[in-house]
Amino acid sequence: MATQIPGNLKYTKEHEWALVEGDTVTVGITDFAQSALGDIVFVEVPEVGSDLKIGSTFGVVESIKSVSDLYSPVSGEVLAKNNDVEGSPEKINQDAYGSWLIKVKMNNTSETQNLLTAEQYQEFCNSSH
Amino acid sequence: MSQMLKTHLYDEHVKLGAKIVPFAGWDMPVQYSSVKDEVLAVRSKVGVFDVSHMGEFFVEGQDAEKFVDHLVTNDILSAPVGKAIYSPLCRENGTVIDDLIVYKLAPGRVMICVNASNIEKDFSWMKSKHHGYDCSLTNLSSIFSLLALQGPESFKILKSIIPQLPDLEYYSVFESAGGQQPIIIARTGYTGEDGFEIFGHHQTIKDMWKKLMELGVTPCGLAARDVLRLEVCYPLYGHELNDDLNPFDAGLGWTVKLNKTNFIGNLELNKKLSKHKLIKLLLDKGIPREGYPVMNSLGEKIGEVTSGTMSVVLNKGVCLARIEIDKVPTDEVFSIDIRNKLYPAQILKKPFVTGGHK
Repeated sequence: MATQIPGNLKYTKEHEWALVEGDTVTVGITDFAQSALGDIVFVEVPEVGSDLKIGSTFGVVESIKSVSDLYSPVSGEVLAKNNDVEGSPEKINQDAYGSWLIKVKMNNTSETQNLLTAEQYQEFCNSSH
Repeated sequence: MSQMLKTHLYDEHVKLGAKIVPFAGWDMPVQYSSVKDEVLAVRSKVGVFDVSHMGEFFVEGQDAEKFVDHLVTNDILSAPVGKAIYSPLCRENGTVIDDLIVYKLAPGRVMICVNASNIEKDFSWMKSKHHGYDCSLTNLSSIFSLLALQGPESFKILKSIIPQLPDLEYYSVFESAGGQQPIIIARTGYTGEDGFEIFGHHQTIKDMWKKLMELGVTPCGLAARDVLRLEVCYPLYGHELNDDLNPFDAGLGWTVKLNKTNFIGNLELNKKLSKHKLIKLLLDKGIPREGYPVMNSLGEKIGEVTSGTMSVVLNKGVCLARIEIDKVPTDEVFSIDIRNKLYPAQILKKPFVTGGHK
């Protein structure tokens, strides 16, 4: 499966992408994830102000036939959520990296060191199917 | 786990880029392009499913109809030759072994199509009841492939391949005569749309599949099939039906013909006792999934979702749910617990989508 993996982002093994800018992280799901899910029809993300813990579930994306949990790449507080994508989840299928889900203010910026680089994520995708 | 089985069209599915998943011991195509596009193709034009994993039994001899009528709850004897009849297959205690379709091909010649996951269970049950009937019972599942061609353009497409195809009535069957390989065509399906199920030997069906692809028919996978059947509220064994339920528990009372003289389960089914009611629920927001709790207006659990999906046609969550019979609320207020949040659900009397079958 050919899939885009932008070099400026970090990744999780659960197929989230993370754009790190200072102590703020923007989170979405990867092109690999949207392609595996198929037609995305429902997105549920936490309210602004919610506390997230690294590695724990913070929401779901649903395709017609399946439900997948979202895992937080870092710990922190939800600063913003993307209402556009909640209203039109198919945007994730059209542009996974342009369709962010939430922005998080990190408690501990060193947590980003545990995330995968684009190269590592590419390798992970190649080996997992 | 033993080796997964593959249908004779497996390589064709892979060539078309299908995503393959294990289902009832088989490697089956779950989707090709997109579930949404496949569902819409069947509702508005035509799509084709490889359902060769399903089982085909043949009953032949002078007691064929009598034997099958004794096995199942629906009325086989009074249906004319050329009809197809949907029926549960029950035990003496009324519980459902499987749901199946009986095809009356000719006098003394009956075909039964059963769910893939129940082939062995059904066949050994039928064998154990076969004594004393003057007819043979054969499991020919391994020599038959099966396509379901479904959608409003099905007849036009199939007629272009098989010019002698009669304009069959809904739930009727036609078996081609002549020296060629046998082919059995029924106007049946699992989508609510007009369509045909085509039974034939592997090479016949492979050739047919290739012709349908050349004619631009959309290949459809099991995911689209499940959405389509759920939109029109057809039950699926293992979800709405299982070994512990009777037909009344699944809203299939209409398939139990208690005026028949004698059939397996009649004494128990005559009591018309059900412990459950199967209902249809439509959500404005949220997607119900199998196993999610169904609650009444007091927030008490009264049942569970048996099958749920996003309806492609309605763009809303829809489900079938099994409610405990003594907890069916008179105020008809329902909600579904989705990840510990309650979503209101509206009960419907009619299916979510009206298919266009004849």
